[in-house]
Amino acid sequence: MNADLEKLQESNKTELERRGSIFNIGAPATEAVTIRDQIAVGFGDGTVRFFQSGSDPKTVKAHKGVVLSMTNYEDHVLTGGEDGRFLKISSDGNIDEIFNFGSKWVDCVASHKDTKVCSSGKTVYIWTKNKDKPQTLEHQSTVAGLAFDNKGKRLAVSRYGGVTVWKLNNNKWTASNFTWKGSHGTVTFSPDTKYIVTAMQENQIHGWRINDKADLAMRGYPSKIKSFTWVGDTPYLVTSGSSDAVCWPFDGKEGPMGRKPIVVANGGKELATFVKALNGEKAVFTGFTDGSVLLAEIDESKKPIMIRSSTGSEVSTIAISSDNSQILIGDMKGSILLSSLWADN
Amino acid sequence: MENTSQVPVTVLTGFLGAGKTTLLNRILTEQHGRKYAVIVNEFGEQGIDNDLVVDADEEVFEMNNGCICCTVRGDLIRILSGLMKRADKLDAIIVETTGLADPAPVAQTFFVDQDVADRTKLDAIVTVADAVHLSSQLVDHHEAEEQIAFADVILLNKVELVGDNDIVKVNDRIRKINPFAKIIKTTRCDAPLEEIVGLNAFSLDRVLDIEPDFLESDHDHEHDDDVTSLSFVSDTPLDMDKFQDWFGNLLRTKGQDILRSKGILNFKGEEERYVFQGVHMLMDASPMGPWPKGKDRSSRVVFIGRDLDNMNLKEGFENCKSA
Repeated sequence: MNADLEKLQESNKTELERRGSIFNIGAPATEAVTIRDQIAVGFGDGTVRFFQSGSDPKTVKAHKGVVLSMTNYEDHVLTGGEDGRFLKISSDGNIDEIFNFGSKWVDCVASHKDTKVCSSGKTVYIWTKNKDKPQTLEHQSTVAGLAFDNKGKRLAVSRYGGVTVWKLNNNKWTASNFTWKGSHGTVTFSPDTKYIVTAMQENQIHGWRINDKADLAMRGYPSKIKSFTWVGDTPYLVTSGSSDAVCWPFDGKEGPMGRKPIVVANGGKELATFVKALNGEKAVFTGFTDGSVLLAEIDESKKPIMIRSSTGSEVSTIAISSDNSQILIGDMKGSILLSSLWADN
Repeated sequence: MENTSQVPVTVLTGFLGAGKTTLLNRILTEQHGRKYAVIVNEFGEQGIDNDLVVDADEEVFEMNNGCICCTVRGDLIRILSGLMKRADKLDAIIVETTGLADPAPVAQTFFVDQDVADRTKLDAIVTVADAVHLSSQLVDHHEAEEQIAFADVILLNKVELVGDNDIVKVNDRIRKINPFAKIIKTTRCDAPLEEIVGLNAFSLDRVLDIEPDFLESDHDHEHDDDVTSLSFVSDTPLDMDKFQDWFGNLLRTKGQDILRSKGILNFKGEEERYVFQGVHMLMDASPMGPWPKGKDRSSRVVFIGRDLDNMNLKEGFENCKSA
């Protein structure tokens, strides 16, 4: 390559791209989770790769077909695959098959302490410590999202027509239904566990205040919301799906009811596809359809910082190491940027 | 929007026993050098075990968008978005539907869901019909009629078991319901795969293939709920505003009974041909290049559905003619 051209391209790189490492895996990055000082990423070729600053990633051939879902579990990751397998994987490559559902996909996984959960079809399977046989929870349609509250006492299961919140009492799960017409995907509890929110198949998110089941409809998006994250102490629920990161305030008695969201990190004609909170800060990373990533404070008067320049492939995952030192960004073409968040002094 | 990276999806319908599984097994086992994924229903016929097969429950979801007949296949949205994350690119996806399923939600999924529309495209609806039993199935099950009505391609299978006269009869019966589908007569679904998969039948420029003479259908049907087709031709240019008002209102109010609609339109003052194609209330339309030189600029529309006689279609279409 022409030296001048190389220099020019180098200068178009962001600070994080200059000091980080770029890996081209060649399969879409589907999920990423943090385990201690490593970041595990699931890919469309069935591999799970463990990334760590200063070394090449360790590759584990986990699934045949796409890694559909992933979460952390103690020092391991739990993964669900297109091959119908629910796996526990350690970073040294040890694979423990928890269950094999055959030709049925394992769409969602979740964990809390020593409890492992997955869904396949309309059923949620729960493995608790020292029990080989899972408990099962049945639903009227295919499960599209799983989330524990922060104490692990409640499990939200999203599906067509709303969310079933299962509560654990004396080793028994009892259901409470939150209803809203339409198909509900990814689900989350607010950090204070007063609200549950889902991303819908339509271009909107829907929430309920848990104590009175009051509905919160958050609409006006130009595309589907594929990602959301809780940010700051307020807290804000920051969502993708628009040309900005849309931040809904969940403070006070009414949360975002009757209030306007704050919008930050404008991507111009690109739409936000992935959002991730910077732990402990009132700031969010927003990835866009062209592969670019911005870091923005939840403050409309502040300018965002360009973290990653355009790759031409939509950002499909972002993870931050548990000590807030490393960031990993993955896209649908399988390009991975791993970089330290802070400059070395 | 045309996008070459969209994976084509073929929807395969047909009654139990018509030969869908035979066709699927051919698609999965023949040395065709292409990579197909097949989405099958758990209540479908047994006997397919292959890595490229995905099990699905047919989950029909209503969209929360105020459109009363707008139902989609929730399971398809989930599975197609999963398949699009595969490292190796698929050449095509085949979706099997159960014999009793209404094909409309499957087709509508490709119009309604943006993620699905961005990455995949509906290629064609292929219906496998049993030449021996189709006539009686059409009498007993309105789903059989709908499967014929929705089809872009009909494999009239098991023709070896039927006499020539009966083949003509069943062929005519199909034509009465659906004048534009391509009918392929087969034994053990032995049609070349390239006539079934990768057809681009839903592409708007395929609308231009409509043969106007072919569409002049009589409709001497016995029951009011029979699926029939009607077509109209006009050599007088149409008024765009009038057409949009009439057609928009028609789909809104009668879209549940109109299974398919297609047309080529000559608007007054427009140099380009306009084409549209619809499934129930949803439709896709766009200009499609200038009219061929030396050929008549005639507008042609075709409707397939129920109760078409009570929609004043002829009058409505005539009223769209420019003054």
